[in-house]
Amino acid sequence: MAEAKSTGAARPAGVAWTALLVQALLPIALILLLLGFALVESRVLSAGNLLNLLVQASYLAIFASAQMMVIITRGFDLSLGTCVSAVSVVSALAMTGSLAAGGEATGLAIAAGMLFGLGMGALIGLFNGFAVAWLRVNPFVATLGSLNICLGIATMASDGRPVFNVPREFSALVYNGSVMGVPMPVVLAVLLLAVLHFVLNHTVFGRALFLIGGNPTAAAVAGLPSRRYLTLAYVLCSLIAAVGALMLTGRTGSGEPNLGGNLTLESIAAAVIGGVSLRGGIGGVPSVILGALFVTVLSNGMNLTRIDGNVQMIVLGSVIILAVFLDRFRAVAR
Amino acid sequence: MTVRPLAVHAHPPTGAEQLSQRLLSVGLLPILLVLSVAFMAVFEQKFFGLNNLFNVLRSTSFLAIVAAGQMLVLIVGGFDLSVGAVIALTSTVMAKSMAALSAAMPDQTAAIITLGVLAGLGCGVFIGLINGLCVAFLRVSPFMVTLGTLSIATGLALLLTQGIPVYGMPDVFVKEFGRALWLGLPTTVYIALAIIALVWFMQTRTRLGRYLYAVGGNLQAAIVSGVPATLNVILAYVLCSVLAATAGVLMTARLGSGQASMGGDDMMLQSIAAAVIAGVSLRGGIGRVELVALGALFLSILTNAMNLLRVDSKMQVVVLGFILVLAVALEEYARRRRRHG
Amino acid sequence: MLLEMRGISKAFPGVQALDRVDFDLRAGEVHVLFGENGAGKSTLINIIAGTFAPDAGSFEFNGEPMRGLTPHRARVIGISPVFQEFSLVAEMTVEENLFLGREIAKAGVLNRGAMRERAARTIADLGFALEPGRKVVELSRAHQQMTEIAKALMGNVRVLILDEPTASLTESETVRLFELIAQLKASGIGIIYVSHRMSEIKQLGDRITVLRDGRLIATLDAAGVSENELVELMTGRKIDLLFPHVDHRPAETLLQVEDLTLADHSVEGVDFHARAGEITGIAGLVGCGKSELIRAVYGLETIIGGTIRVEGQAYGHPSPARSLERGVCYFPSDRVVEGLALGRPIRENVSMAALDLTRFARLRIMQRGSERRIVQGIVDQLGLRPPNIERVVGNLSGGNRQKVMLARGLTRTTRVFLFDEPTVGIDVGAKVEVYELMKQLVDSGAAIVLVSSELPEVLHLANRLYVMHRGRMVAELTGADIAEQRVLACFFQDEKTGQAA
Repeated sequence: MAEAKSTGAARPAGVAWTALLVQALLPIALILLLLGFALVESRVLSAGNLLNLLVQASYLAIFASAQMMVIITRGFDLSLGTCVSAVSVVSALAMTGSLAAGGEATGLAIAAGMLFGLGMGALIGLFNGFAVAWLRVNPFVATLGSLNICLGIATMASDGRPVFNVPREFSALVYNGSVMGVPMPVVLAVLLLAVLHFVLNHTVFGRALFLIGGNPTAAAVAGLPSRRYLTLAYVLCSLIAAVGALMLTGRTGSGEPNLGGNLTLESIAAAVIGGVSLRGGIGGVPSVILGALFVTVLSNGMNLTRIDGNVQMIVLGSVIILAVFLDRFRAVAR
Repeated sequence: MTVRPLAVHAHPPTGAEQLSQRLLSVGLLPILLVLSVAFMAVFEQKFFGLNNLFNVLRSTSFLAIVAAGQMLVLIVGGFDLSVGAVIALTSTVMAKSMAALSAAMPDQTAAIITLGVLAGLGCGVFIGLINGLCVAFLRVSPFMVTLGTLSIATGLALLLTQGIPVYGMPDVFVKEFGRALWLGLPTTVYIALAIIALVWFMQTRTRLGRYLYAVGGNLQAAIVSGVPATLNVILAYVLCSVLAATAGVLMTARLGSGQASMGGDDMMLQSIAAAVIAGVSLRGGIGRVELVALGALFLSILTNAMNLLRVDSKMQVVVLGFILVLAVALEEYARRRRRHG
Repeated sequence: MLLEMRGISKAFPGVQALDRVDFDLRAGEVHVLFGENGAGKSTLINIIAGTFAPDAGSFEFNGEPMRGLTPHRARVIGISPVFQEFSLVAEMTVEENLFLGREIAKAGVLNRGAMRERAARTIADLGFALEPGRKVVELSRAHQQMTEIAKALMGNVRVLILDEPTASLTESETVRLFELIAQLKASGIGIIYVSHRMSEIKQLGDRITVLRDGRLIATLDAAGVSENELVELMTGRKIDLLFPHVDHRPAETLLQVEDLTLADHSVEGVDFHARAGEITGIAGLVGCGKSELIRAVYGLETIIGGTIRVEGQAYGHPSPARSLERGVCYFPSDRVVEGLALGRPIRENVSMAALDLTRFARLRIMQRGSERRIVQGIVDQLGLRPPNIERVVGNLSGGNRQKVMLARGLTRTTRVFLFDEPTVGIDVGAKVEVYELMKQLVDSGAAIVLVSSELPEVLHLANRLYVMHRGRMVAELTGADIAEQRVLACFFQDEKTGQAA
């Protein structure tokens, strides 16, 4: 067969090297970044800060993995940040509300808070998924719309002020606690990411996401119920974001209408830098962890070296554009 | 090489189909406009007060200018999330440079104003170039790139001002331009009309207009036909940012101070909504500026009506979000109807 | 000598599209490029048109070496291509398309009157029935083809490239085109003509260059060459060795379609059936609705009338998932757009259509071991080389990609196979293997519906051959009636009856 020769032959060695370089690029950059900051500010490498880094990266990894679920399907979630705010406010209100109504049953209040928070997340995800999968609205526009809807909900429900009096037990549960010395946020993130890793690689749903992202038309022709899976991807994205939002609410001890802040930007940056392709069909939990570490080290380092918050915003914007370059570079090397 | 074949109509559309198509894309807008004005006539006469009408016209003008730019980018198949941030950056840079120039050469009012405005528009050119170069040369998602520049421009604006309004622009600029009336109408309205007319001329009567449609309608065909696609994509982004910057100049002149909070996500969202309501396709290749101006008028009336009816401003954001999603869903529905006859 | 190309090579990921090919063109001649799909014809004309640069070789136009040629530059110096994938902007009018890239303008401002006048004159000169003000999206495929040709002839033309220009034209339109070609020839223009219709090649060609698998096989004078010689040069083997002998043993009817009409009217009132143990062919011009017909049966088009029966059972509102459940499988013609997730491994692409089966997933959890075993087995059976199922499909050649597609049909019990242009873009070796697989399937009692624009394919493989024209079934041929002349006559049938009436 004529073509067996052309395809069977190993790819030129140069290409293999480029691929390897792309693989190693991020870990190397991560270490260099860490060392670079350490030169300016020695506290960067202190045990306390490293632990802090780990906790920070755990939150970001959760949000980035939420973002990854939809990026894999060639989608996008611009509403993630305001969704986090809305979930935070709604869950805090549910907790304080049920405390006010039911006296001292803190356990019940916490359960109600989680329920309402996750429910809020699921609802937002359902809206996004419905608009994208069934109304065929461009994901950017759909989530741009829900970004504003969530923003409205968060500020209206809270009147633009933090919701205080979240039970201390809640914070103890999701923030202050630790398992065998490992801080609770890290434990929760590891559990969540492990489940996600399994879902992506060992379930029909996970497989379908990769195939839909790889080629949506082909997936439909092969009989995959794309719309259902796509909707589920958006629901899952918002649900994971809601879990992260609950954890952040536990940390601040109040429902914050601005909690989301830069999270959309950071989650996208982390996912794409880690290697989740904007062209769909490629991604994984390890990528997200690496990307989250990178972005966290960057912002932690800038904080410790006292770089102005506005400058950090500029750097984050540049990092987003850098991530696009990197994505392009990876596609060429592949 | 994967080039999708053109969609082919097996049958010419019937009269009824054409009518429903028109209604879905073009005809809906004037009807909505008339309806909303009629609604206000019945429920809130304050709407027709001269001051209120001026307000509506002013905000329409700002929005129409930005939305016209957004439309150009949408026509080449792109998207610009950074327009609001460009307004903020323009506003602060212009105010800062005018204030600095005023201190340096207090008597040269004309020079101060000219240089200040140029500095503001320069911000537009700068951000537009970043957007255009990244999108055109890397052929990457415009959403990502403009999300990045959105962050960069906002950060720069905040960095320059630390969030404090910048005063010190020449009085003439504010009183005799920004807040002035010419022949009974705000100056802004004339400038917006002139810009819309220019863009209309560009779209229908110049080579550039055709090239923008061609690049967005069928990139491969445009390249093969010798249309300098890269250049045209870059131009579209630069024009978009410059138009946004122009709106920033006008808004700053009206307000009397440079503010990093000007424009923002609200303007970005509204500009996209105005364009999409006016039938500009997110898939590129389709869009007319006169309709986009109508879309801007409709949105401004809507916002104003909600203000007068005391709808919570946070609620307004929610309404806008819904309108945006609904408009795109309708466009998509119309497109599929058209394809399946 | 207008064009002179020596030792042209061009590689794409996974394929050597051209391998040291020589080609030349004289002024005032029609030089036919002949070869199967994927032989390298389209790569060669794309290099001439400046779409991409060759990896190696020399390319001279008018004695000047062409380096860094762009499509625009090519047009300016007089190389005008008419591709099958039209270079038209759908939402723009015919006139706007004709002048795209060379508008008459002063300082960027268009001179619309002058353009309108010239467009009208050009269209009149060509004798095409085109309205300059209509949007291209509203035109039929034939009219789009005419627009494309008119566009190519707008400027100063030295070399005209025609890529299967008659694929969607009716007979009278074809006759008009041939007159035009004769005129252009007489005025000294060199024409590269890509086609595989024998009658045209003999009628128009001065010289013929045959390509196969990216290599130059021969360049010969059209005068002294026979059709059989040409086909053998093209395929590299005797015809009876290319197509396997299929023993048709028609049994029960597995697929029965009655009075089928689609929402876009690309298919209207069509009846047909397919039986176990035979290959049912469907032939027709590009855009005649043959592909839409089987896509509708599988559930990819909107049906507004008619009935479908699978194994005797009524099957309303088809969808891909339910078709697969009922044992109906469709192999799309465009494997890149509709078939494969190019960034994913072979394994995932093969098991894609069978994730509902317990062999692949239990309780929605993937059975990865079982999946690997089954897919490996099928891949080995089909002779995919190399047989590594973790390779990313994007790196495979056309033939291997088609095998991945076909493997998908073997992951579950399937009795009706719908093939849509199964050999587009694959080399001869892979082609023979595809035919061989069809034979095996028919032998094992499956029903095959073969839709193809390659006439020899349906002529040699089908036991019964339907012919479609403008959305309708116009003939059902069996036995000795399955012949090129009969089929071509059917293509132009309604035009003749129309003229007679």
